[in-house]
Amino acid sequence: MTSQQKITDSPIDFAEDIIEDVKNSKDDGVLKCVQCGMCTSTCPAARHSDYNPRDIIERVLDGDVTIMEDENIWNCFYCYTCHSVCPVGNSVCEVNQILKQFAITNGIGYDKLYEYMGFADSYFTAAIGAIPEIFFEDIDRDVPGWWDFRQNLDEIRDELELDPPLMPSKEVINEVSKILTITGFKDKIDKIRESQEE
Amino acid sequence: MRDDLKVGVFLCECGGNIADIIDLDEVRKSLDVEFIGQFENLCSLNGRKIIRDAIFDHDLDRVVVAACSPISHEKTFQDYVKPLNPYLMDMANIREQCSWVHDDRKRATHKAITLINASIEKVKQSDAVDPIYCQTPKEVAVIGGGIAGMNAALSLAKQGTKVTIIEQSPSIGGHMAKIGKVFSPVKIAEECGMCLLNPILNELVWNENIEVLTNSKVIEAERRAGTYNLIVEQSPRYVDTEKCIACGKCAEVCEVEVPNDWNDNLSMRKAIYRPFGQSYPESYVIDMDNCSKCGDCFRTCNMKAIRLKGKPEKTLLQVGSIIVATGHKLFDMEKRPEYGYTRYADVITQSELGRITGVNGPTKGKLLKSNGEVPKRVVMIQCVGSRDEKPDGHRYCSKICCTVALKNANIIKHKYPDTDVLICYTDVRTPGMFEKYYKHTQENEVRFLRGRPGEVVKKGDNFIVRTEDTIKGEFVEIEADMVVLSTAMEPSLGTREIAEILNIGTTEDGFIKESHPKIKPVATDVQGIFVCGTAQDPKDITDSIMQATAAASKVSEYNYGGVEIEPFIAEIDNEKCTVCGDCISRCKYKSMSIQDDEIYIDPMSCTGCGKCLVGCKERAITVNGNVDEKIVATINGVLSKKREGERMILVFLDNIGYTAADNIGVNRLSYPESIHIIKVISVNRVSPRHIRYALENGADGIFIGEFPGDLMYDEVERKIEKVKECIAEMGQNSERVTFSKVYIPYFTGLARKLTDFDKKIVELNEAEL
Amino acid sequence: MKNIPDKDLLLFRSCLVSVEYPGVEASTKFVFDKLGIDYAISDKQTCCTGLGHYSDVFNQIDTTAIGARNFKVARELNRPNLVMMCATCYAINKKSVKLLNKKDDLREHINKLFDENGLSHLKYEKDDLKPTENIFHVVDILYGKKDKIKENIKYDLSDYTIATHHGCHYCKVHYEDTIGGVRDPNIMDELIEECGCKTIGWYDHKRATCGTGFRQRYSNPDLSFTATADKMNAIADEDVDILVHLCPNCHIQFDRYQHLISEREGRNFRAIHLNITQFMALAMGGDFDKVIGAKAHTVPIDSVIKELKEVEK
Repeated sequence: MTSQQKITDSPIDFAEDIIEDVKNSKDDGVLKCVQCGMCTSTCPAARHSDYNPRDIIERVLDGDVTIMEDENIWNCFYCYTCHSVCPVGNSVCEVNQILKQFAITNGIGYDKLYEYMGFADSYFTAAIGAIPEIFFEDIDRDVPGWWDFRQNLDEIRDELELDPPLMPSKEVINEVSKILTITGFKDKIDKIRESQEE
Repeated sequence: MRDDLKVGVFLCECGGNIADIIDLDEVRKSLDVEFIGQFENLCSLNGRKIIRDAIFDHDLDRVVVAACSPISHEKTFQDYVKPLNPYLMDMANIREQCSWVHDDRKRATHKAITLINASIEKVKQSDAVDPIYCQTPKEVAVIGGGIAGMNAALSLAKQGTKVTIIEQSPSIGGHMAKIGKVFSPVKIAEECGMCLLNPILNELVWNENIEVLTNSKVIEAERRAGTYNLIVEQSPRYVDTEKCIACGKCAEVCEVEVPNDWNDNLSMRKAIYRPFGQSYPESYVIDMDNCSKCGDCFRTCNMKAIRLKGKPEKTLLQVGSIIVATGHKLFDMEKRPEYGYTRYADVITQSELGRITGVNGPTKGKLLKSNGEVPKRVVMIQCVGSRDEKPDGHRYCSKICCTVALKNANIIKHKYPDTDVLICYTDVRTPGMFEKYYKHTQENEVRFLRGRPGEVVKKGDNFIVRTEDTIKGEFVEIEADMVVLSTAMEPSLGTREIAEILNIGTTEDGFIKESHPKIKPVATDVQGIFVCGTAQDPKDITDSIMQATAAASKVSEYNYGGVEIEPFIAEIDNEKCTVCGDCISRCKYKSMSIQDDEIYIDPMSCTGCGKCLVGCKERAITVNGNVDEKIVATINGVLSKKREGERMILVFLDNIGYTAADNIGVNRLSYPESIHIIKVISVNRVSPRHIRYALENGADGIFIGEFPGDLMYDEVERKIEKVKECIAEMGQNSERVTFSKVYIPYFTGLARKLTDFDKKIVELNEAEL
Repeated sequence: MKNIPDKDLLLFRSCLVSVEYPGVEASTKFVFDKLGIDYAISDKQTCCTGLGHYSDVFNQIDTTAIGARNFKVARELNRPNLVMMCATCYAINKKSVKLLNKKDDLREHINKLFDENGLSHLKYEKDDLKPTENIFHVVDILYGKKDKIKENIKYDLSDYTIATHHGCHYCKVHYEDTIGGVRDPNIMDELIEECGCKTIGWYDHKRATCGTGFRQRYSNPDLSFTATADKMNAIADEDVDILVHLCPNCHIQFDRYQHLISEREGRNFRAIHLNITQFMALAMGGDFDKVIGAKAHTVPIDSVIKELKEVEK
């Protein structure tokens, strides 16, 4: 198949959008990629799945926005190994995180986030990040004795004389909920939840 | 009194180039000087007679030539005013900066009068000064005895120059001596490196103009009027080179064994040793750090050459020029532990592979693993430490590693066709003829994989190289039983040390920085010091030799031509100077130093920029040539001709900016008549005081232009910002002062900027009305 | 060597430490007390958002706004030095400080939101904190007190085969700041050496991820556990008794799921998993239940450490 580049196409715009993102800490790193493959050479996801960090950058530089819909991008471990070795100062790990936020802004991948709504809830209700209850059944199946341990957590903590207690005060929780409302976080979560519970 | 000086003005019609636009009759009427004459072509040979006769007839003290640009004819007219001192003549540029840029006769004529008047006022401030001639001593020090230093020394010696080579190790020869084979782009084959090096070494040894100091280092340096005083420390060799016949009996009886650094520590040598078979001086040496002082060698030596007692000796070496050829070292593999170099004996560098495959190496040329077997598969990893911006890595390409890998791969394939050789690369960089060698290597069945490996681990008897094959887009694990790393070239320790001792500039990577990468590739930022070889940047033997001979040639320019220096440089009044050292730290040209408890200014490097003046609390520094007075006089000369309602913008440019402004005229573009360009030796000499003075005395705007490549650019930019703040504080509009970048070829931009600035000033004037 | 503080520390509580390995917090306090480190814990500090952040639920602005609040908590206590028990908290907070200092638009946007919503007291001014000078992991602080460790050691653990697993979010995210390197991370190896033991040093996959991959563990367990198995196999090849961690999330992956991965691989993995502070607390005489929190561990600590031998003074 022949792919075409029209005189009006500007493939680099996609990379420029990524560079502009607040999460990007590598300035123009993505533009300096020479496709050496060192990221893939050290990537746990590339080793065990079809995820290929080098290819992601190639597609970004091609201006291929369909990368946002590619299931493979969700295989990144966020282990930052590519970020720590990239010889030209790019970070596929960060680019990947930015791509996913782009996807979410474009209404893509809500299903991927839905399972993790528990993190959002625990912040709103307790200002802490607790493993979503939706996974408890899996954990109990995979980890012998985990459920019993969780039941005994208070006793174990008591024995360790840990202070202050686990839960923050009402005041603190209110402040955190407020912050997460004004940043637009709450609206986003509501929207994701609505779309999945229709 | 300077006002009483008799000034003669010579107006040139320039065959109509000037006279067609400027009404020279009007000009003559408007100026009040001792003599004023008009001529058709003043630069022609009879111009000399016209000017000289007028000088005698009218007893002229000063001369103004109103003609073309000083850039084209200043030297001519400096010659024509003889016997007047050349610096008592000034040129008013009424062609490039008047008749060629304006077309309104009336306004052009008035501007010409203004420019000539400025020159008249300026030239009254001039004094007779003589150009400074410097002749540096002809002796040369070459620091570093590798292939670059040897060639530089030899080239100079053959031209009759006395050269001293200062080499830190016990023998000259450098990296090339241990490289094994070198690649020949013409023969598409590998040649014996030592066989090429040895004739050069012999020629050098027999040349009477060359003295070789081994075990020696420069530990101190100072410069005075073009002479360098180098303190050289020579460590004892403990063997008398005059007596030693290199029979080797001493090493036979020595019981101390240490790793042989010449073999990259792949074999052992004794504590008394000869670095390599062809080393020079042809003598043994004792490695005193490892010597047990048993005395066996002393007792064995029939020649009585061994001296167990010895102290480092310091000697003074006086030279006129220095060539730095201190070379490189290889990337430290501890910085990239993921490749296993520090863990596994059979992960080696290309340099070590060169020793292993060299017939004078630890295995006598046999390619063997640490267990004595021939490897089945050798994987080479390129760009180790190069093209790598992560901590301890180098952003640059080390330039030679691709060819080195090809060479070593071919050597392996030639001797062991059954050994698989795979080169993992990001780009194969084989420019020019080397591309043919790349093809030749492929024909030899060397394999290539495009991908930068992430790590090397040991599994069982073999290594696993983990990499992506980027062409297939596949993560692969390659089994290998030998891994060879193509390590980056970086500045040697000696290179870093000598840069500090001689106070020469380095690049961000620590290499010696050339004065200009295009047009001054072997000069450093210090006059009289040159660089060649891998001390300057990664390069191969061919390029090192070329640069070495270029450096030698530059030294010869000094030695045979001498140097003529414009006399407008700084001078110190030692009565006032307290040697506080402020000027030393300010000088961007490294002209100032303390010698014999006094500040010494090197005339060879001072540009007269005047930066040193600013910080001198004792006002002990002056710059020759009344620069300050000339600027004030020029400003007065321009502004005194200001007419009611006339806009006057003063534009200060140095030589580069002035040339760009001339180009506007040469290309017959235009800018408003309000623009008056004043040429200064350095825009840094335009002080805040000058700017304020001009604004207070009628200037409508001040435009300062500077070439961004000038060492003083940042300084001037900062200064102008401060001036603007200061002007704003005084209640004036700081927009009347502007600072701009100028480039010679970008004269259209300068014309536009001048026009825009004039518009701006028009707006400001209207707003203030 | 960067300057490491030993006072004015805010010990930053971690959600995973609190509910999975509370003994890590108790051990950190135990060791800090032994080494004379001045720290406090605040009940006003909240989670860093890391788990939600790396599940892509939280965007950078959400995380950084929460960060700004926590930084204010620290400053109000006059404890500007944040020290984290969890590698993710460390990476998240350090990145937020960097962004707040460097990206004026983001800082001003967050401050404006605070101003407009009655949260002006949380405003962050440029350089309120410095990423290198104020944001630390517990291992950094221990490293700063390296010379004091030896004198506090009570038990000799040198007979065990010990390896280290350095969490990615400690080493790799802000690699320019990582003590002991990122390509062959060894800050814990050095600390363990101060306890009178020797680690095995480098092993295959030493610098690799634990395999948690945040969402991978729950949404993509096959991929997650395959990656963990790489490392578990390498550790078993070296016959390791104790794997030492610095991050509770890695700790979960290895300790909680060792049994499952053993089944998947058909190989009996037997290493126990201790946080570096637990290891150190143990060597300094900390009680299994009152300090180490042994009951929270899935692979029993006493399956390897059966008795303790005092060091010969």
